Amino acid sequence: MGLYLVQQLINAISYGSILGLLAVGYTMIYGILGLINFAHGEIFMIGAFICYFLVSLYHVPWVIAALLAVAASTVAGLLLERVVYRPCIKRKAPVLTVFIASFGASLGLRFSFMMFFTDRRRAFPIPEFFEKMYFWGEIAIGLRDIIIFVTTIVIMSLVACFIKYTRLGTAMRGVSFDTKTAQLMGINSARIIVAAFAIGSALAGISAIEYGLTFGIVNPGMGFTPGLEGFIAAVLGGIGNVPGAMIGGFLIGVGEILFVALLPPELSPLRPLFVWALLFVILFLRPTGLFRPNVKFAGIWGE
Amino acid sequence: MLLSMKDVTTGYAKAQILKDISLKVNKKEIVALVGANGAGKTTTLQCIAGVIKPWVGNVFLEEHDLASFAPYQIVAMGISYCPEGRDIFANLSVFENLRIGAYLIRDAREFKLLLDRVYSLFPRLYERRRQLSGSLSGGEQQMLAIGRALMTNPNLLLLDEPSLGLAPILVEGIYNTIQEINASGTAILLVEQNVGLALEISSRTYVFEKGEISLSGTSAELRDSDYVKASYLGIV
Repeated sequence: MGLYLVQQLINAISYGSILGLLAVGYTMIYGILGLINFAHGEIFMIGAFICYFLVSLYHVPWVIAALLAVAASTVAGLLLERVVYRPCIKRKAPVLTVFIASFGASLGLRFSFMMFFTDRRRAFPIPEFFEKMYFWGEIAIGLRDIIIFVTTIVIMSLVACFIKYTRLGTAMRGVSFDTKTAQLMGINSARIIVAAFAIGSALAGISAIEYGLTFGIVNPGMGFTPGLEGFIAAVLGGIGNVPGAMIGGFLIGVGEILFVALLPPELSPLRPLFVWALLFVILFLRPTGLFRPNVKFAGIWGE
Repeated sequence: MLLSMKDVTTGYAKAQILKDISLKVNKKEIVALVGANGAGKTTTLQCIAGVIKPWVGNVFLEEHDLASFAPYQIVAMGISYCPEGRDIFANLSVFENLRIGAYLIRDAREFKLLLDRVYSLFPRLYERRRQLSGSLSGGEQQMLAIGRALMTNPNLLLLDEPSLGLAPILVEGIYNTIQEINASGTAILLVEQNVGLALEISSRTYVFEKGEISLSGTSAELRDSDYVKASYLGIV
């Protein structure tokens, strides 16, 4: 049993990495716009598709394809900001309008991909290099899991240092906490929003590559579940709190895998329910999430 | 002349607050705006900072009309607005608040000079620089808000009710510091409900009543005016 648990935990770490990277994008954008970016899961999906196309159809070397995929997610996120969010912000559109625009962008992207490429699941290209396994007694660790975990930790550390120590990172936290006052410091919040979309979308692209490596599939609807769970991870970590989102992602990822591993297999279809139940219980006990949110009026019932 | 407002009428959404406000601030001067709650003093500061725009009339910084500039651009032009109620970034440390204040200062040496200046004006902030600013006392938060506004290195500092909610001894300290700031060359436009204090510290004063300027002049003149004595200073 103990061995089985360790094995499951190792498997869970990859999923936690995927959710953690997604959650950072959600939390940054939510903190600054005060609104969930529903299309974040589609930004993620686009990254995976680009990597798939480049490798499977155009035979681009995998590493280059992966880098281009991250770039594509970033560009997609910037376009989304430019085309959907910026006009809403400029016109000071009511929250409900932006909500609908955001939802529309998400569905529009997902169904356009279905229209052009069908909903069929495609095999994400995984270089043989990643398939190498290491054995430690009876426990198997894939090189893939190690690379995913190390990459994620390195990238998260870089992002956390950026947010904590740089001029732009500090300004982002300021805008997230109180946009109006941040403007009185000479901060152009429009530029901060662009920075948040760029960073969040790049991380979604990285997350998508990790997802492809872990589950081996690409399809237009692939962003939906990780997207929702990434958002929950962001709420769990305290909205606007970047390190909180990272930890939230790992907690959800690990919790979910353990739920499946420890309970009878008949219950495993209830896996998404577990995540929601966990969120409900935590928010009931701590309305602002596990860590300090970085928004002025946080939590369902306010401070 | 540093700043001038010419016949400004404005308000929020459809509610008009100010009517035909004209005032000016000279370089290195302290000018006070006094008057009852809701007379339009804060609205005037917000209009200068660009948070709201004039419906009619103009605000000039030297020869530049501020109408087409966003608040963040007006900061870059040398006007810093320290809002009422402090509005510090409570989730950030004292140092990080000051760092955000200096967002426009890219030169590390200049940043250091400004930071040293704020720390020497408010030694308490230096002691608490690593502390979460939300955990500061009211007086310390006020110091931080003023210090943060100074980090933009302004020519004109707009101060909205710096004495609000502070114990008398703290008010005295804050006002001594305001005079120090002014002595180093920064002009100050001050909103203050404590009329006696405002008249004492400023060179000129505008009295606001129901969105209009009912009286203005040098603060020394106003101190002697029977109307001001009776209505604002409680001297009969």
